[in-house]
Amino acid sequence: MRPEHWLYTIPLRLRSLLRSAQQDQELDDELRDHVERKTQEYVAQGMAQAEARRRARLDLGGIEQTKERCRDARRVNWIQDFVQDLHYGVRTLRKSLGFTAIAVLTLALGIGANTAIFSVVNAIYLSPLPYPNASKIYVVSRIGNQYGGESISPAIFAAWREQQAGAFEHLALLHWAGAATLTGFGDPLQVPTLGISVDFLAMLGVHPALGRDFAPEEGAAGGPNVVMLGNSLWRMQFGADPNVVGRSITLDDKPYTIIAVLPAGFEDPSFSSPHAQLWFPVRIPATTTDVGNGGLLCLGMLKRDVSIAQAEASLTLSLSALRDKYPKMFMPGERAHLIPLRQLLNAWAGTAPLLLFGAVGLVLLIACANVASLTLARSATRQREMAVRRAMGAGRERIVRQLLTESVLLAVLGGAIGVAACYASFQFIIAVVPKDLTHVGAYQIDAAVLGFAFALSIVTGIVFGLVPALGTSRVDLNNSLKESRAQSGAGHSGRMRSALASGELAISLVLIVGAALALESFARLTGVNPGFDSSNVLTFSVQLTTARYASPVSRAAFLDQALARLSALPGTEEAATISILPLTGGADILFSLVGGNGSVPPGEPLAANIRVVSPDYFHALRIPLVRGRVFTASDNSAGPPVVVIDETMAKKFWPGKDPVGQEIWIGKPMGPEHADPTPRQIIGVVGDVRESSLAENGGQTMFIPYAQTKFNNFASFIVRTRHPPMLSLPDARSTLRSLDANLPLLGPETMDSVVADSLSGWRFHAILLGAFGALALLIAAIGVYGVISYSVAQRTHEIGVRMTLGAQRGDVMRLVIGQGALLAGVGILVGVGAAFGLTRLMASMLYGVKPTDPLTFSAVAVLLTLSALLACYIPTQRAMHVDPMVALKYE
Amino acid sequence: MSKPSDLVQGTLDMLLLKILALEPMNGFAVSQRLKQVSGDVLQVSDGSLYPALHKLEQEGWITAEWKTSEYGRRAKYYSLTRLGRRQLEKEADNWGRLSSATSRVIKLKEA
Repeated sequence: MRPEHWLYTIPLRLRSLLRSAQQDQELDDELRDHVERKTQEYVAQGMAQAEARRRARLDLGGIEQTKERCRDARRVNWIQDFVQDLHYGVRTLRKSLGFTAIAVLTLALGIGANTAIFSVVNAIYLSPLPYPNASKIYVVSRIGNQYGGESISPAIFAAWREQQAGAFEHLALLHWAGAATLTGFGDPLQVPTLGISVDFLAMLGVHPALGRDFAPEEGAAGGPNVVMLGNSLWRMQFGADPNVVGRSITLDDKPYTIIAVLPAGFEDPSFSSPHAQLWFPVRIPATTTDVGNGGLLCLGMLKRDVSIAQAEASLTLSLSALRDKYPKMFMPGERAHLIPLRQLLNAWAGTAPLLLFGAVGLVLLIACANVASLTLARSATRQREMAVRRAMGAGRERIVRQLLTESVLLAVLGGAIGVAACYASFQFIIAVVPKDLTHVGAYQIDAAVLGFAFALSIVTGIVFGLVPALGTSRVDLNNSLKESRAQSGAGHSGRMRSALASGELAISLVLIVGAALALESFARLTGVNPGFDSSNVLTFSVQLTTARYASPVSRAAFLDQALARLSALPGTEEAATISILPLTGGADILFSLVGGNGSVPPGEPLAANIRVVSPDYFHALRIPLVRGRVFTASDNSAGPPVVVIDETMAKKFWPGKDPVGQEIWIGKPMGPEHADPTPRQIIGVVGDVRESSLAENGGQTMFIPYAQTKFNNFASFIVRTRHPPMLSLPDARSTLRSLDANLPLLGPETMDSVVADSLSGWRFHAILLGAFGALALLIAAIGVYGVISYSVAQRTHEIGVRMTLGAQRGDVMRLVIGQGALLAGVGILVGVGAAFGLTRLMASMLYGVKPTDPLTFSAVAVLLTLSALLACYIPTQRAMHVDPMVALKYE
Repeated sequence: MSKPSDLVQGTLDMLLLKILALEPMNGFAVSQRLKQVSGDVLQVSDGSLYPALHKLEQEGWITAEWKTSEYGRRAKYYSLTRLGRRQLEKEADNWGRLSSATSRVIKLKEA
């Protein structure tokens, strides 16, 4: 039928369905009108009134019968058929509760797991960015430089902004500004912040929920202290006070005026972790000479008729101009690069969640195969029912439709249970997701997730129902009706079911290989020596940004005092500080070799990680000294400037030589703002520590004492304790409070949990893939069991005959096991081939093991073979104990 | 009285569409018109007429409207839709081919 026709008839049919009472009334009126006219006509022909009326009614062939036939003409068939099928389906499923329970449970597992993973995938990749102009926003960065990553320096931004008139509608800036201390609300509170250029919100198309946007003069150097509140901070700390705009708050001891509250959800996209709750105007003087990587992210919106290539070309010109000015800070091939904002956020999230989504999709595929197999087995016993229906006039298409209704009903039931289970365990599921995984929306079961689950259920029902339905509807009427036992079609559906079981084994092999590789990576990582001893260590941090800590000396004095008091606590063995804890990331800085080293000339910019520590740091974390000495208390502002480096750095820059006594100048290539005032002498070499993660050989790190640098405003304490570390926390807290009641103690945890957290992504992959693999194996084993045991039941008679003819139990066993082995063999071969092709996709999720690790592959193949044989065990036993007499009589 | 089942399948539909193509009318008038134009040869019982009209309406080929009739009563008037007109053309076309083929067969001279 033409679509146009549907356009007409669908409303008509809906009307028939929904307005049947009115339709009946109209039908009644119409027929009564007819009878009256007809009566008048007969009267006009000379008939008596009563006789005329009788004739008129007679002509109509009985008013009620005619009405019924008119209603028939209007009946909306497919909807009524569907309701009928639904009733029938519910009845059939209730009659075979065992089948229904297994099928629904299998599907619930599959659909529930998919829904859970989808809620994560949705939050990461699909949720729209909460900015009206999001699709027009590009991340503007440079490539070909020595830093990598997207962040740029203030000088680059200043140069680009001058260029902006040509290509950009807006060129805005985001600054990872760290945290601010909010006081005046009971305990001092550390709040994550972001700096934004004053046109940032306008570019995104976002308007504050309360108050106003930043004014241009607020972005100028020396502008007023103004701040915007994130929605959740406003709710939690300010009780969602509608009059908060205009109030003054104290941040880092300075008064700030609240000018706006940002809309809910604005902070969801994780530009920073943890999410920012305070937004300041970022102030870049046009005359800046800071070319170091300033932790700035540049975002731009192109003018309407400017292409990406044009914009990149014009900004690359500015970079070349900067290179002329700072030849050491820019590489010759460096150029500007634009990528859509969304692409950057997706890149931050990586592809692992998508791979997990693919894996959980395979689990559902196995579940589908299993239920299809069950349905096929069941359909063999329903051949007679179908034959009767065909004989009574049901078309094939009609039977397929009815069977599909049943399978979709099963799937929707399974889906509902799956979603309910997902909902019930959602907090648990989310707890496994690594906290720092970049996501754009919130993790939640929203309309999109529910819609996905529903659509998935329908598709699932059709996928596993279609093949059995087509098979069942193709019945041979004569044979089916004549046959006493439901056996016809068993050959066809038997082969089909064996193929399905092999397929299930193949897919589960892929999943289990993936799981095994992920688990192995995880196991290897937990075995990696981080380079320090994390046991019995408590850690917590402070940020020294208030007026009291305005000078580097005051900060060092505070740290000295704090360390002295913490060391004196009864439970403390040792106490130390470091600017950034091991395993939590790097902070690259440029330096140069004062004397060169033969191959690297003096002054050449080189990059290394930097950590600011207290003298006892190495000893407190049990980091071994390789050569020279570590810091002492006399390495302070009065002493000569010194630095300790790690082995990797020593080997890289002084291969085969002793670096102790050499001089380096930290920050020198980055301009005066970042540079040390004088070079430092290397006094010692320590063992390598995994600085950014267990998977990366962190190395190439320099350590400087906090008493000898101005970059000492953030410190993480390391307290080695004599008892379980958390027991020391209350004492540590009161110690800090006694020194400064307004200083918040941040992120207390044990060093062991820092190590564990650094593995959270790996753990996430291993747990999920492991769970999917186990689920797949279980379902596939049930599938194999189902096929073999059904086949044994079908062949009871044959087995009886064979035994009568002299077959031994061993022969029977070989017969059944042979069938299972064939099935498993095919599945495993196909699975190994598929896994070989697919596991390379997860290369980035692996550590210390190749995607095609032969040992893993063979171990998994053996595991699957054993599982398949185990699944054959019960049916084999049953076959071996067939009593020939009973089997033969039964027929 | 000939029943609609005596008519070639679909012929009644075509006749009704044709009659309504001339002018909108109510069910009673349709039955009168059928009798008039076919010279009482094609008699369609009133009991078959109404289900047939309702079916055509359901297909979207004709549409119904309640109007006040010349007798001052509310009556249901049927008229042809654009879709119905197309359907009529199609059926008339088929019918033309069928009847000319049939008459050619009938006119074959017996050998």
